[in-house]
Amino acid sequence: MNRVHQGETGMKSVKLGTGLAFWGDALRPAIDMVERADIQYLCCDHLAELTMSILNKQKARKSDLGYTTDIIPFLRGVLPKCHERGIKIISNAGGSNPEACTEQVMELCRELGLHGMKVATVTGDDILDRIDDLLADGEEFINTDTGQKMAEIRDKVTHANVYIGCDGIVEALEQGADIVICGRVTDAALYLGPMRHELGWAADDWQSLGAGTGVAHCIECGGQATGGLYSGGWHDMPRLASLGYPVTTVTENGEAILSKTPQSGGAVTVGTVSEQLVYEVLDPANYLTADVVADVSQIKLDQVGPDQVHIHNVKGKPAPATLKVNMGYRAGFVGEAQFTYTWPDAVKKAKAGLEFLNERLEQVDFQAEDTRVEYVGHNSMWGPEVVDPPDDPDLQEIVVRFAARCPTKEEARKVFTESVPLYNNGPAGASGIGTRPPIKELYGIWPCLIPRELITIKTTVREVQP
Amino acid sequence: MTLRVWDLAHGRSGDKGDICNIGLIARDDAAYTTLCQQVTPERMHQHFGDMIKGDIERYELPNIRALNFVCKGALDGGGTLSLRSDHLGKVMYTWLLRMELDDE
Repeated sequence: MNRVHQGETGMKSVKLGTGLAFWGDALRPAIDMVERADIQYLCCDHLAELTMSILNKQKARKSDLGYTTDIIPFLRGVLPKCHERGIKIISNAGGSNPEACTEQVMELCRELGLHGMKVATVTGDDILDRIDDLLADGEEFINTDTGQKMAEIRDKVTHANVYIGCDGIVEALEQGADIVICGRVTDAALYLGPMRHELGWAADDWQSLGAGTGVAHCIECGGQATGGLYSGGWHDMPRLASLGYPVTTVTENGEAILSKTPQSGGAVTVGTVSEQLVYEVLDPANYLTADVVADVSQIKLDQVGPDQVHIHNVKGKPAPATLKVNMGYRAGFVGEAQFTYTWPDAVKKAKAGLEFLNERLEQVDFQAEDTRVEYVGHNSMWGPEVVDPPDDPDLQEIVVRFAARCPTKEEARKVFTESVPLYNNGPAGASGIGTRPPIKELYGIWPCLIPRELITIKTTVREVQP
Repeated sequence: MTLRVWDLAHGRSGDKGDICNIGLIARDDAAYTTLCQQVTPERMHQHFGDMIKGDIERYELPNIRALNFVCKGALDGGGTLSLRSDHLGKVMYTWLLRMELDDE
């Protein structure tokens, strides 16, 4: 069912749906989309910077884990309809274990009786096991933010994945894959792969790839382009709880019409797309990806119909010689405590409660690299850097949040343990301390580069057999 | 009446490591001109104080009347390490929206 869409202009086009924008995203928008929108591809991003650290930790504990497990309930919800309508699925749910993810996806296909489905696995992004060889060969993995060499974190590294481009996805689609499971491909590649495959763009057609990447950036965060988080008019946004995700028609000249699932909530306007366009962008004239350097600085957005925005005037330049590596390292633990005081003298009591906590922590020889105090409802989003602690003597209530970055789990645990006696030993009227929170392990991100010729992408396609 | 960035623009912010980028979308052409004139990295540094420890670069997207500010050292070590409640800088833009402007 390879449908080549031809618009009124006679140009080839492809219709892409945004299925998921992060691990834990809602499943409903994709289920609604495959039922109501005439899409050819469902593109799903499950990975954030931190996600790879978590996944690698899971894989280290159990060799068949390490992928984002939401892919299974997601596919269970959309696969029957996708199979019926020939909609292909592109996902980076493979995380740090694309092979194990593929096994589970194939098992699900068998369970649903979808024999004959072709499932592709794209690998080659994971260089964790190659680091020592690469270091020996002269790669330095210098931190692009700080200029430091990686030697100081070498023994703490938890994962090292290269942001790879769409080549593996294009290869999989050329081999007839229905589902493509990747690891750390770029978010944009999930969309650029089907664009290249359907629209016939060459791997060095920089103008088209740049334009496609600009479009991909507008839609890769799902509901953030269709009215979610819209600061320009959230109060006028209809039915946010039933928000529709982007449905985008890209034509072979690299232009696109961004819309959303019919009869869904939210809206697609020049405003909603503009807010998404500036999200997590550095220099808009040099938006670096593995496939191309896109230039969105002169982008034009026009409202061409209800919930329809025309995206055009995005340029492209040759892909960078190096690829970005997402490397993570263990960086300690966070201990947190929170407690509330009420009128009279809420602020005085809160400050006395903090002194109480600090003194008790000293008594147990507490070790922390950094601590932070925030007053929830007053300056928790800004901190003391810009908003002083509260001083209103008549305040009805105030919540104190204390957090500390600690070298070990044991130290981090002391924060909550030493805050518990506030309940009956501290200043009058403490409440809202809550139950013991889990201790969060921290991972630092070590941004660095690797020459692209050192990375080989591998694509494997397998058919689901009874 | 005090004129704030919010009267002229809406926005969004996010994280890339220890960088927070803040995008502003002007409500009309006149607002875009005023923002270009007044929302400079220098004014941003004054307004954000120690919250942004590194350099601030400003980029213009004239056709959608947007400004993008790339703020280094703005997330207490980066989203994965930060002790801040807003460790991903999701509401940093609202602090910029509060910034007062000269009403010409």
